[in-house]
Amino acid sequence: MEKKKGGFIQWLDERLAINALMKIMMTEYYIPKNINFLWSFGVLIMLVLVILIISGLFVLMYYKPDAKLAFDSVNKTIMMDVEYGWLFRHIHAVGASIMFLVLFVHMGRGIYYGSFKPPREIVWLTGYLLFILMAATAFTGYLLPWGQMSYWAAQTITTLFEKIPVIGPDLVIWIRGNFIVEDATLTRFFALHVVLLPLLLIVFTGIHLYAVRIVGSNNEDGIELTKEEKKTKGIPFWPVFMSKEFFVMSVFLIFFFYLVFFQFHFAMDPINFTPANYLQTPPHIYPEWYFLAFYEVLRGFFFSQNLGLIAFVLSMFVAMFLPWIDTSPIKSGNYRPLYKIAFWIFVADFVFLTVLGKLPPTGLYGWLGFIGTLIFFGFFIALPIISKIEKKQIERGGNQ
Amino acid sequence: MAEEEKVTRRDFLLYAMGGWAAIGVGASLYAMYKTWEPLPEVKAQATVKFDLSEVQPGELRVVAWRGKPVFVLRKTPDMIKCPDRTVKDEYTVVIGICTHLGCIPNWEEDKKIWHCPCHGGEYDACGRNIFGPPPRPLAIPPFKIEGNTIVLGEEGPEYKKLMKG
Amino acid sequence: MKDLKILAILTVIVLATYIGIEPFAKHEMHGTVPEPDYNYLDLPKVQLNGNPEEGKKLFKTNCASCHGVEADGISATMDKKTAELSFKVVPPDLSNIANIIEPHFFAAFVKDPQGTTKFPKFAMPAMSYLTEVQIGNIYAYLKSVAKPAEELTGKEILNDACTRCHSVRYQKIYAHTDKDYLNDYLGKVPPDLSLMGKAKEHEYLLTFINNPQVMLPGTSMPRLGLSEESATKVVEYLDKIADPHKEQRNKVGFWVLGYLIVLAGLTFAWKKKIWKNVH
Repeated sequence: MEKKKGGFIQWLDERLAINALMKIMMTEYYIPKNINFLWSFGVLIMLVLVILIISGLFVLMYYKPDAKLAFDSVNKTIMMDVEYGWLFRHIHAVGASIMFLVLFVHMGRGIYYGSFKPPREIVWLTGYLLFILMAATAFTGYLLPWGQMSYWAAQTITTLFEKIPVIGPDLVIWIRGNFIVEDATLTRFFALHVVLLPLLLIVFTGIHLYAVRIVGSNNEDGIELTKEEKKTKGIPFWPVFMSKEFFVMSVFLIFFFYLVFFQFHFAMDPINFTPANYLQTPPHIYPEWYFLAFYEVLRGFFFSQNLGLIAFVLSMFVAMFLPWIDTSPIKSGNYRPLYKIAFWIFVADFVFLTVLGKLPPTGLYGWLGFIGTLIFFGFFIALPIISKIEKKQIERGGNQ
Repeated sequence: MAEEEKVTRRDFLLYAMGGWAAIGVGASLYAMYKTWEPLPEVKAQATVKFDLSEVQPGELRVVAWRGKPVFVLRKTPDMIKCPDRTVKDEYTVVIGICTHLGCIPNWEEDKKIWHCPCHGGEYDACGRNIFGPPPRPLAIPPFKIEGNTIVLGEEGPEYKKLMKG
Repeated sequence: MKDLKILAILTVIVLATYIGIEPFAKHEMHGTVPEPDYNYLDLPKVQLNGNPEEGKKLFKTNCASCHGVEADGISATMDKKTAELSFKVVPPDLSNIANIIEPHFFAAFVKDPQGTTKFPKFAMPAMSYLTEVQIGNIYAYLKSVAKPAEELTGKEILNDACTRCHSVRYQKIYAHTDKDYLNDYLGKVPPDLSLMGKAKEHEYLLTFINNPQVMLPGTSMPRLGLSEESATKVVEYLDKIADPHKEQRNKVGFWVLGYLIVLAGLTFAWKKKIWKNVH
């Protein structure tokens, strides 16, 4: 039995160099030992992505991308008629929502421990692009059930493009394929959501992982290991790192499937169980939770629509430039007292903005939203200042 | 000795873990398999009722059953008799799909035969293949007789008798 | 252990966010739903007794021109098309009405449909000339033909009380009145009820049916006087048809979670074994 197995592996190795591949990617790929379970979130993202692709495939088999048929294809055919159709739909909806939780934690880890700093700028940029692609995938996907919330979220967000000078109004009609969000919008969002965006997600995930493999993982202390140090002080990806990953994935799946079966309403808003009505806006519209903070920034400048729009776009992209905004040579937040404080204020502010995004934007809530928006940008403005202070401290030999 | 023990214990756990994971994969594949089953509206089409007394002698009716055409011909006394293929003494009830390559034959009133346009196969008024490439007579669908009504899709005693004979 | 500390921090952040965007925000947007009033306290409380035979005669004279009583073989004189043209809505069959709505609501309604239903444009003309005794007799007749309240199902109540205006397409139930007439009558086509059990919370539906104006001021949906028992059955029916796989979901969920807990145990044991040998 051993000889036969060895023979087959040898046969594959001569054709695909799998022994070398296994060494490079698995058994001789060393991860620093001083990492915590926040470093497991990358694998969780890939797990959720696979779950979304498979569940997406099965709902795709019964979904009808037509304004007259879409709502019933989801709510009657898939949810009621197809055996276990309800399960695949629940998994897909909850998966999409949970994906952003996992993404935010993964990005938060990167921000706190300085994983965006040299030599990991490309890791950060490809990762950030993946976040934007995932947001686009969620946005296009949300229109597909053609419920009231689906429809009015798409109507509101596409209207924003009208504000672009000169080309705005025509651009919006071009994006929609109609004067309002209609069947043409549905079918093109369907094509993007099912084909183009998943392809781009997979391609850029490949590039992102390649970039990570080249520079190696960061660690809690932000200290770069040499190749020799990695071998002696690190752990091999397989089987050591992956064994922890299997456990983390199992626990995550308990959490995930608990939500899928017993606590899924946060991912399927009741307003979306009413078919889209082009002539009536529901009294409350809001995006899914993961967009609420950015939505609140849009409403934050309540006294100026244009400022709000610019702030909205800025808020979605500013973090991409972190490698050039935060230039302190110290990587890990564990060794940066000032940065640590700014970071936690930013996290609290993000939660603050998220909650406000769900509330009616009037009176006190309007002003709180404005303050929250200022704090959000305040974080990025503070970073160069903190970097300067830290650099001076190093020169004086103070910070260790 | 301790080394071997460690190795086997790790392997046992690995196999237990792998086996348990495989059960999960199996259950997921089962759920996926189930999603391809025909939907309730389709399953409802599985049986179709038809009133035979509606058909005039010499008239051919085509009844849709499970998406397929079923020829119901009420024979006149001068047409071919074939007790081993006749329903309720005077009806030919056959699935209108040519046994050669699946086209739908056309009834030719003057010749009292079915003629398949694809490769020229011919069937008599009892559905038996009489000319051309078709290898077998037209198939008889499972049926049940309830008074004047025929229920296509259910195996009644009359159907079982025809199949035996 | 460090990982547990980080997990605790994450849990706090996620919980804070969740509580903010779910229960808290919901409360800010919708407030608390008032309790329904099945005593219909704004209407005079009357005792309705009477003679069913007298009631049947009165029914035939005063009501049967528009309303049928299928349970007693009475068909409405007016056909669907004429009803739609005259009233813009098909009058409902009254076989079970006596065991669906509250008696004193019935009495007030017959005398003043518009005021009692709180819909000024309600299609039924006021039968204000009927005396208390006469209404009592008619009610007694209707009570004598109605299916007992305990036996009426949510689906039957919905069919009798709601389907002149509302469809439930997923259950192949269609509104008796054509869309265009309803649009004229009510100002909009009443929503399909197939998913109403999911689109609105249980308490909201109970209060809404009990007194639509409380939840949606200015709405064209009339107050219908359903008893607590009838309203509860109808909303339970709406919940059930909106979520037909609830039982299966709970059952499968239980087994899946059980499976995953065992899986977590196995992966934990394997991890411990592997990491024991790590420097």
